[in-house]
Amino acid sequence: MMFVFLLTDIFFYIIIFTLGLYIFYVRKTKDILETWKHVFRSRTGIISIVVLSFFLIIAILDSIHIKERTYNEQTKSFSYEAEIKSVLDIILLPTYENTEKSYSSPFSSNLYSKETVIIEKNIEKRVYPKLLYKGNHNKYSSENVTNISITFIVSLLKYILIFTIFYVFFYFRIIFRSKNNIFNPLKENKVFFTTLSVMILLSIFLYELSLQYYVLGTDKVGVDVLYKSIKSIRTGILIGTLTTIVMLPFAIFLGIFAGYIGGFVDDIIQYVYTTLNSIPSVLLIASAILMLQVYMANNPLNFENIYERADLRLFFLCMILGLTSWTGLCRLLRGESMKLKEVEYVQASKTFGLSKFSIIVRHIMPNIMHIVIITIVLDFSALVLAEAVLSYVNIGVDPTTYSWGNMINAARLEMSKEPIVWWSLFSAFTFMFILVLFANLFSDVVRDAFDPRTSKNYE
Amino acid sequence: MTQGQVKIMNKLLDVKNLYLSIESENETEILKDINFSINESEILSLIGESGSGKSLTALSIIRLLEKNCKIKSGQIIFNNTNLLSLEERNMRSIRKNDISMIFQEPMRSLNPVMSIYDQLLEAYDKNSRENVRRKIVDNLISVGIEDASRVIELFPHQLSGGMKQRIMIAMAIACKPKLLIADEPTTSLDVTIQKQVLDLLLKLRDELQMSILFITHDLAVASQISDKIIVMKDGLVLENSESKNFFKKPKTSYSKTLLESSSYNRKINLNKSAQNSNVLKVSNLKVYFKEKKGFISRVQNFKKAVDDISISIDAGATHAIVGESGSGKTTVAKAIMGLTEVTDGGIQILDRDILSMGANEKLNFRKNYQMIFQDPFSSLNPRMRVGSIIKEGLSFLKPNLDDEEINKRLKNVVKNVGLEESSLYKYPHQFSGGQRQRIAIARVLVLDPKLLICDEPTSSLDVTVQKQVLDLLTEIQINNQISYLFISHDINLVASISDTLSVMYQGKIVESGKTSDIINKTSNDYTKKLLSSVPQIL
Repeated sequence: MMFVFLLTDIFFYIIIFTLGLYIFYVRKTKDILETWKHVFRSRTGIISIVVLSFFLIIAILDSIHIKERTYNEQTKSFSYEAEIKSVLDIILLPTYENTEKSYSSPFSSNLYSKETVIIEKNIEKRVYPKLLYKGNHNKYSSENVTNISITFIVSLLKYILIFTIFYVFFYFRIIFRSKNNIFNPLKENKVFFTTLSVMILLSIFLYELSLQYYVLGTDKVGVDVLYKSIKSIRTGILIGTLTTIVMLPFAIFLGIFAGYIGGFVDDIIQYVYTTLNSIPSVLLIASAILMLQVYMANNPLNFENIYERADLRLFFLCMILGLTSWTGLCRLLRGESMKLKEVEYVQASKTFGLSKFSIIVRHIMPNIMHIVIITIVLDFSALVLAEAVLSYVNIGVDPTTYSWGNMINAARLEMSKEPIVWWSLFSAFTFMFILVLFANLFSDVVRDAFDPRTSKNYE
Repeated sequence: MTQGQVKIMNKLLDVKNLYLSIESENETEILKDINFSINESEILSLIGESGSGKSLTALSIIRLLEKNCKIKSGQIIFNNTNLLSLEERNMRSIRKNDISMIFQEPMRSLNPVMSIYDQLLEAYDKNSRENVRRKIVDNLISVGIEDASRVIELFPHQLSGGMKQRIMIAMAIACKPKLLIADEPTTSLDVTIQKQVLDLLLKLRDELQMSILFITHDLAVASQISDKIIVMKDGLVLENSESKNFFKKPKTSYSKTLLESSSYNRKINLNKSAQNSNVLKVSNLKVYFKEKKGFISRVQNFKKAVDDISISIDAGATHAIVGESGSGKTTVAKAIMGLTEVTDGGIQILDRDILSMGANEKLNFRKNYQMIFQDPFSSLNPRMRVGSIIKEGLSFLKPNLDDEEINKRLKNVVKNVGLEESSLYKYPHQFSGGQRQRIAIARVLVLDPKLLICDEPTSSLDVTVQKQVLDLLTEIQINNQISYLFISHDINLVASISDTLSVMYQGKIVESGKTSDIINKTSNDYTKKLLSSVPQIL
């Protein structure tokens, strides 16, 4: 077994690491900790945090890639498989190890279209063939409804077991922690526990079910749609976060320089973002992706395997999206820094002879951070949707990458079939909807907490 | 103006047992048992510091309270009707015809995209719109705008602050109201304009026979205008008396403190330090701002913010610069502090020319001169602890101190400005305005400067707090032999605390000399005008 680090993995780890640093920083800084506690205390806030963490955990699991080592009989030596798996793949192995022939609808035991089957010699019949791997292997009862109910009860029992372990662990932590703990409000937070319970129960239940059924059906080549949708989470979250990380340095530094230093620097930065804004971003993205494709076609030897190619395209898409989306935040920060420049505490620091750099770090940055946080959270959902749109018009991620955009793109043809194949679109839509909805709810709460005009911390 | 015509006075407005609370998680009572009445064509002044509930009282009369404010009990009887039990529809007609209100900030009370004519038109009833233009012009003339027919075509940004406040008054009196509520109508105006507005209000009272509820924090203004005085504190009416009696014999101790605070006197005359050395010498200072125009900016002309001024301050002395807004007094301070570029002239501090100093040398020298800013709410970074705010200057200007020494100094300086040691670990928003200004003073005091520039350090504070801050500044001056350059718009205040004085007008010093000489026997027209405009307690 060998760990493989794809380009996007490394950046995703960096993001997670930065998030960890930020949490560490928040716990040291009292007033920001207060504001975050406000987020944790609000019902919507805590629900969306729990749901988003589930998505995040899935994305993290899906970002740890490994290569399996196998023994080659012919060469009598060990070698690594070409296929790269993620930890999530290993967990979800039962859902994708076998593929059916073609479409099958959710919970069905037959394929979706008729095929000619030879029953006896020379007798052919048009039937819906039985599925090979799932749908006909009920564990508990031959009746579907009874089977599903029993599965539910089994998963409930499993859940209770897990929960008890978790509960003991959690309280163990709480008891031996100091009083001012960020988890403190969670201790008596019923909403938190309810949401967590529902999420865990749902995961177990879905897992149990997908051992026996295709919960969301299969696609054209017989792959479990549920698996595809779950794999797409990483793509969505990666585009949402990586793009932000790319755009932040531009937005923050250029915004502050333009606003604080002003004059000539301000003119240049303004012209740059006005120019960038006036180019249609779809055009820019399309040309960048086409250029990358040409490059990949001309230099096939630079890539070890198909995963690296797909990954590079995903990474490139994040870059180009980041390059086109920093202007909005930059403009906001420029205005805010211009305002702060004239505020008396900045003037006072000037009389102490602080350099421009020190003033920016000590006085400007901390006072614009609330805008940055609000924008990051707001932009996240917009970017997830942008990926879907771009993949739909074929300038998004690589066709082999699992993504909601690709699923929707494929659904374009499926929707025109008779009878209609609806589950691909449905599941892509549901997953995307849940992620974007909770990201939006979360951003609302964050904005309420951080916006000085609405928070009571600063009059 | 206490000599209103003696005739049988009818009660116009009667506020009885008014209780008001703000509803939130824990309900707080803001107004407790407010009782007062206003007779016809009488001016009543409501005096109190910020947070005393005077504005809320006014808003409850005209019923424009925020949604979370609830009147718990009481009556407001206006012309024999209880306003609190009226329906909103009827209340609207009362607001239109009988009670008008003018607000503190004339800049914000006018809609910037409507011409003056359109805005005044709103104040007139739809039925009486024939000859409305004539009426508006007459109305504007009656508030002292002479070229009214030109002014009505203009937009708010083309008018000065005093002009806007006149237009607000014109709007308020357009319906010939019986009661005019004026909420700090002169606070944001210069003294000379303040005097004009006060005179106008008195004139209108006599002409229209209307009553005025005048809300102010300024006792001198109140004494100029009012027949009756009400003092409020923390939602309670502390004193309710005739204006004449109030200023002669205030009944409560709070009123006495207010009166004492509003006429500040420096207790001790400074004994001049032996060596009469010069701390600050400004010679022929010029600060011109370029006015850029057009796409490729070419310098078109200059705005002369400070034009050829000279000042000198001796060690341990206080020099004051007094002037109205836009006179360039703050620009002088900024030029000395290096916050704005100097066009020409020389600035010498402790006999060293700071304009020709190199960057490093200047950084070393900066600890000798520091500045206190006007607004303590914006001069402290909300995201830094008080300790680090005070430490900032030390760590940059005296980098060779070790941590122990820094901590010792921090604790000392906090004690010196009258705060507790635990303040060092708090954030600025946990303090009141006066305390914040103390923190701002501590921040510069810890550097042990020889010269302190105070840019209106008390103008955003309540009177009683003002006195405390001024006392503190005086005490520091005596203990540490610091020279002050004191910048203010308030010639009364300046007269009592400064040794020498410069009067600035439109970027130039029109008069300069010993404070007592200027106050008592000035020959300059502008200084005279300034002195006569300042409201005095009668």
